[in-house]
Order: sequence, then C-alpha cells, then structure tokens
Amino acid sequence: MKRTFRFASAGGLLALAVSLALQPQTSQAREAQAILKETCMACHTPEGENALSRISHQRKTPEGWLMSIARMQTMHQLKISDEDRRTLVKYLADNQGLAPSETDGVRYALERRLNTVEQFDDQTKQMCGRCHSGARVALQRRPAQEWERLVNFHLGQWPSLEYQALSRDRDWFDLARKEMVPLLAKRYPLDSKAWADWQKSMPKAEALVGDWSFSGHLPGKGELNGVMKVTAAEGDHFTLSVDGQYVDGSPFKGQGTAILYSGYEWRGNVDIDGVKMRQVFAANGAQLKGRMFEAAHDERGLDFIAARQDHPQLLAVQPGYLKAGSETEVSLIGSGLNGTPSFGKGVEVVKVLEQSPQRVRVLLKAAADAPAGLREVSVGALKGQQLAVYRDIAEVKVVPAFSVARIGDNGGATPKVQGRFDAEAWGRSAEGKAYRIGVFPAQWKVEPFDDRAREDEDVKFAGSMQTDAGVFTPGDAGPNPERKMSTNNAGNLKVIAAVDDAGKAHTGEGHLIVTVQRWNNPPIP
Amino acid sequence: MLQTATRGLAAILVLGACSGPLLADEGKALNRGHEYMVTTNYPNNLHILDLATDSLYKTCQMPDAFGPGTVQLSPDRTIAYVLNNHYADIYGVELDTCKQVFHASITQQPGEKARSMFSFTVSHDGKELYTVANPTRMLNDRYEVQQPRLDVYATNAGMSAKPVRSFPAPRQLTIMQTGDDGSLYIAGPDIYKVNVQTGKFDVLVPSRHWKRPLYSAPDVLYVWNQQTYRHDFSLLYTAAKFKDKKEDPATADYVYGFFNIDLATGKTKTVDFGPLTEIYFSGMVSPKDPNLVFGVLNRLAKYDIKQKKMLQAATLDHSYYCISFNKAGSKIYLAGTFNDVAIFDAESLKPLGKIKLPGGDMAITTAQVFTR
Repeated sequence: MKRTFRFASAGGLLALAVSLALQPQTSQAREAQAILKETCMACHTPEGENALSRISHQRKTPEGWLMSIARMQTMHQLKISDEDRRTLVKYLADNQGLAPSETDGVRYALERRLNTVEQFDDQTKQMCGRCHSGARVALQRRPAQEWERLVNFHLGQWPSLEYQALSRDRDWFDLARKEMVPLLAKRYPLDSKAWADWQKSMPKAEALVGDWSFSGHLPGKGELNGVMKVTAAEGDHFTLSVDGQYVDGSPFKGQGTAILYSGYEWRGNVDIDGVKMRQVFAANGAQLKGRMFEAAHDERGLDFIAARQDHPQLLAVQPGYLKAGSETEVSLIGSGLNGTPSFGKGVEVVKVLEQSPQRVRVLLKAAADAPAGLREVSVGALKGQQLAVYRDIAEVKVVPAFSVARIGDNGGATPKVQGRFDAEAWGRSAEGKAYRIGVFPAQWKVEPFDDRAREDEDVKFAGSMQTDAGVFTPGDAGPNPERKMSTNNAGNLKVIAAVDDAGKAHTGEGHLIVTVQRWNNPPIP
Repeated sequence: MLQTATRGLAAILVLGACSGPLLADEGKALNRGHEYMVTTNYPNNLHILDLATDSLYKTCQMPDAFGPGTVQLSPDRTIAYVLNNHYADIYGVELDTCKQVFHASITQQPGEKARSMFSFTVSHDGKELYTVANPTRMLNDRYEVQQPRLDVYATNAGMSAKPVRSFPAPRQLTIMQTGDDGSLYIAGPDIYKVNVQTGKFDVLVPSRHWKRPLYSAPDVLYVWNQQTYRHDFSLLYTAAKFKDKKEDPATADYVYGFFNIDLATGKTKTVDFGPLTEIYFSGMVSPKDPNLVFGVLNRLAKYDIKQKKMLQAATLDHSYYCISFNKAGSKIYLAGTFNDVAIFDAESLKPLGKIKLPGGDMAITTAQVFTR
C-alpha cells in the first residue's frame, strides 16, 4: 500500500519534469502576475506592490520553481493548469532566478549527473545532503527567515526526520535553526551582486538563434559531432534541428524544441532517432554547454558542447590522442575552422582528408621520438584544445570510479537504471607527470566487490555487463526467491576494464553499487 | 432515485451476507488463562493468534489507514490500543468483540497537524493513556514546528477523547512504558522518568549524554514498544568502545547493549551484551533465563550476557523486525515485515513453523504476547 503511493507520487513528479522542458506557449497565455494573484494569493499574502509572502523572497532555477509549484499541487491541493504553471516557472526563473555564477559547481544536479560525489562541508552533508543532494540547497537563494521556514517545513512535513541516523544523535531542530539557517543565509543570500548585474546584462533569447556546431561524448558509445540549427519561436522558445553522427558513422539526427530561462538556462526536448532526449545547457555568449540525456533513462546521456557558427571556436579533438610512432585519423570540431591545424613538434599532418568550417579531418603521424604528454592544438588563431601523445599507457581508470545502478522493471513502474562506464587511459610524461590520454575501447566485466558480495553471489544476480562496452544492465526489481532470504537483486560489484595496448593489457577498476529503485525522483535530485 | 436506492439496499444486503461469518468470528471472545499474540498488518488488520495451537484465532478490522500499527495492551489484557493511520490516531479495540471503544487523534489543537512517533502506552492501572504528540502549526503559507507535548487521556473517554492533562515535552521522544508506582518512562535523547501529574521530566538513564569512559555516545533506534513477561522496559543500543583517550574509531571495539528498567522496582541497568557484528532491530531478554538476550533482523541470535558473547544464531527465510517470547520462555515468535509469524525453539533455535496471516506486510508493527 505504501509502495502504491510512492509509485504514484514518483510518477507524478516525473510527469511534471517532462512538462518543464516545453510545449510552445500559446498566445492566450495569461500574464504571470494575473496567475500569481488569482492562483497563489489564496494562501500567499500580498506584500506591497506585486509581492507575495514566501514567493517573493526566494530565487531558484527553473527546476527549483517547478518543484515548488508541484509540491503545492501534490501536498496542498493547488489547482493550476499546465499552461499556467509553465508561465509561472518562466516568469519566476526570469525574474527570481540564479545568475550563471551562482550555479557554477552545482550544475551536475540540473544535468542529472547522479553519480557525482558531492563536495560539501560535513555539516551541510549531514544536515541536508543526508536525504537529498547538497546541490538542491546550493541552487536556492533565501534570506534567513525563508531558510528558517524551510527548516520548519522539513520537520513538519517529515516528522520522522529527527529520528533518523545523523539526526537522532543530535538536537537536529536546534542545530538546523541556530547553525544551518545563519550559515545558509550567508552562503546563499537572497540579494547578490551577481544576480543584480546579470539582470542588467542578461542577453536576449534571439542571440542564440543560428547554426551551432556541436561535439559530444556518450559513455559506452563514443564521440559524436554535428550541427544543430536553432530558429526562433515565440516567447524565448526555439525550434531545433539536429544533424550529426557518432564516430562509428551511426546517425544522431532529430527535431525538437527548446526554451531559454533566466537568459542562459537552455532546456530542450529533442527526438533523436526515435528516442526522446532532454537538453540541459548553460548558454554563455556563443557557446552552449551541458548534458543531453534520454528522457526515460537519464543515465544515458552525453557531455555536450556547441559553438555558434558565426563565432569561431575550437571545441574538440576527436579522438584526442595519438601513439608515438603511429598514424591515425583525427577530427577537429568547432566553428569557423579555417587553415591547416597544427599539433606541435613531432606530430605531422600527413593529409587533410576533409575541411569545413565545422570539421577538419586529418591524417596525423606522430614521430617515434615525439615527446609524450599533452600539446596545444591550433587552427589558425583558434586554440584551447589538446592532443595527447603517448608511448605507453601507464594506468587505466574506470570512469565514473564510483557509481550506482538500480534494479527495476519486472512489472513495476520504475525502469532499470544502467551503469555506464568509460575506460580512461592515463600516461606519464618524461617529467613523470600523469596526464589523461583519453577514452579507449576495453573489455568489460564485473566481480564481487568483497567477500560478502562473493558469498551472496552478487555477480550472478545483480545484472550483466556488456563485454565490449561499459554498459551494465541491472537485474529485475522485487524479491528474488532464488536468492538467500528472497532478497532483491542488489549487489556490490567491482567494474573491471581491460585495455589492450599493443598486446599489453592494462586493467582499471571501479566500484558499482546495484541498489533499489529511486522512488522519489524530482527534477533536482 | 428509487432504482438507485433499491440497488443500494441490495448491495448492503449482499455485503451483509458476505461479512456475516467474518462478524461472527470477530465476536469470538478470548479464553481466560490462554496465551495469545496480537499483531497488525496491511490493509489494516489486528490479528489475534492462539499460542496453544499456534494458529490464527481471529482478525479484527481497524478503521483508517495502517501504520505503524504499534500495539499496547491494557493491563487486564482486554483492550489493544493501536497507533495507526500514519502515526495520527490511537484506537482502542476490545479484543473479545473487536469493538472500538476508544479513539484519540494525535492532532488536538486548532490548525495543527501532529504525529506520535511510536510514543504511547497505557497506565499501570489502565485508566489513562499517554502519548507524545509532535505538532506542527499549519499556517496558510508556512509551517511552524511546535514543541512536543505529553497528552494524557482517560481511557474511558470514548471515541473522541480529549486530553485531561497536557505538558510540554522534549523533542525526539519515542517508546514508553509505565511503572507500577505510576511513573512513566519515556525514551528519547535520554530515558526520562516522568511524573504524569506534574509533567516533570527527569533524566533517569542517560543515553546520548551518558558518561561511560572510553565509550562513544550510543546509537539508539528502538521503536518496538514491547510489554514483556519480565515486566521491564528495554531498548537496544550500539556504541564504540575506544582503546584509549585518542578515541580512534578505526581501532575501537563496537558493542551491542541494552538499557533496562524494571517496571516493578524502577531499577535501571545499562548492559553491554556482546560485540556488534550484525544489526538487530529488536531484542529481548529471555523470560526464563535473565542471562540470555536474543536479537533479530536478518538472523535470530542468542547471547550470553555475562560472557558477552553470541552463543548461536539461526538463519531466517526473510527479515523479521519484532521479537516476542511465550510466557514459558520456550518459544520465540518473530513478527514484522511480510505476513507470516515465524516460531523458533528458544533453546535450540530450530524453526518450529509459521503462522501465515491474512493481509499484507506487518511492516514496523509491534506485536505483543500475553496471557488473558
């Protein structure tokens, strides 16, 4: 019974997340101020001109505002149409959002990089990050009174909170009010120069219209590049057309729409070869950067960077490495690429195979005595990317080093969450300095992480690893009668990648926890 | 209209026919001198098991939603009080008839929402019911967490009981039992002895604030409010025992122990009973041998308290949360999670069978074994 409710609410939040990223606004959209008055004023008290209690004293990301309104719907019986909610999220994110610098370092949460190991002080980790990401806190701005009300909301809504581990050993409520509130008010204040400045200089959405050259990397699949055409639609909306390919030649093509919040928060919905994908990017002048992931499987996503074509930039070198004494094809991705690229001493461009403003494909040869290490790549005046020349692989790292996959499906409402891995080779320069060579093909397997995992046969039950790609698919959800005590298919595994370097095998190891479903899955984890 | 009304009546008649046998069963009185176990499960059942035959005796249906389903028995063992409806209401159910004879909402003040975190019991004379409410004022645009309060109800107050006395209480309180002298013992950051007339809380057993040299503060999560044949109030704890004043957790020994209050005398004990090697949700000292303590979660384990060592452990088909003994101390009954009560021989730890319950998960219920 308990589960049924959780399924329902998780499903509800997912549905809400879907709606954040778009649907074109109709011209009949009501003014945000009218909606605030007619819909929100039922509970929120008017305060002076166009201000309402609580709402007017917070700043948040679009996802943050969406979650607040969604909570009013699920917990306080707020009735609001999807269209009005979209109008409000847009208005609030534009007028009470965060400056780009205020989301620095915590964008991983918006980008749904759920394997991030967060870096916060111990108190914030224990008082806040124990239940949700620290980023969820860091992506809000409030004065002390609003932080205090947030503390009261937490304990009022979840009375068991002060009985849990890392709460029941301390006077949680007192600490939250007396220590966390002042700390948060100081660290994440409502008023900031960054936001005041950004509001004055915030670019218009039209600045993002045009053709964008992009580069990406999908763990378990490889690098890709292409062109995304962006045309303007009404009200900071765009329509998109994506035309690209992976390095193996498979297509990456599709159509979609996007919206711009707060002058830089790009959120897109694109259908790529029949798969719905989301875009969470930050626009910075003529660059878009972030992550693009499958709507139903946010673990399947790619690092994405794009350059507007009227603004020359060098975005990527694919692949970004070359073995001393060998020849290989390398593509430079960017915008306004012009001229023969230069790779520094000991690396010769044998032939330019293809040349366009977005892509230069060359055959490269590294001399046998070319110094191992990273070198600057340039095309004309453009710089900013590196090529690694290596002689031997010194070490292989599994990336991410620590990750979580989740059992799912099997008749339940929650899909499986895969593990997605890359094998990253590292070299050592003549000076003994470690440097990243790049992502290599590898042979993959999992092993028990410890004796307990061996005894419980976690390798047999927790799921399976694709041998030629770092893709781990977890087992079915629910109790498994074949396991000891009918336990579920959770497991504690080592992820092992073996990279072959001219007949010499190098292995790297990561740690994968296979655990239960994420029942509560709001847009900001 | 007429048609609808007629159909409605027909439906009632059909329902009545179906529930006839059930109602008859609900009215089956308990037998004096017999030993029973009560436990609760989804969707909202109160089961009474006959321990002479180790079988289901009858099932009472309870109102509202299930959870946590913690049971406290009146001293004469005729009424089961159940904290339910998502920690929001306490119902008294007369065991002989399955009739509801008492109801108190944890929420009492206008504009508040209150929950009780397993925190209630019945007085030693059965006349009063104590509960700690954790209230929050629900204002239009914000919440205000209020100080918890100890509410005292008269058990004869019927179906909309109001507190006869209320006192401010510390935060983070959980389970409680009453002593024979009328004192109320409540577990929380420490274990308090409470005067139920004045509302005065005194620390009786320091827990978070204990002063045991070279020990860390104990970790206590004990929400099984058991009414034992030993007539005691007991909670398990775990703690680190450091090698020296450097208090290095890496070299510390980790121990399991229990706090114990004798409800007849008020005497207290803080006892380490063994090394911490696995987690137990609940534990209980044998009614037969005060030197044996048992714990359960993923295994059922038996410890020699004096020797501070595990004597034996039985594997289980699935996790069980809540342990109980029969009066003789010869059988152990395991409840909590899933819908079967597992029976073990307390001497050999051999499984003796299971009692399958109608309905679903027992979850975090507290079962009670008693003699009528």
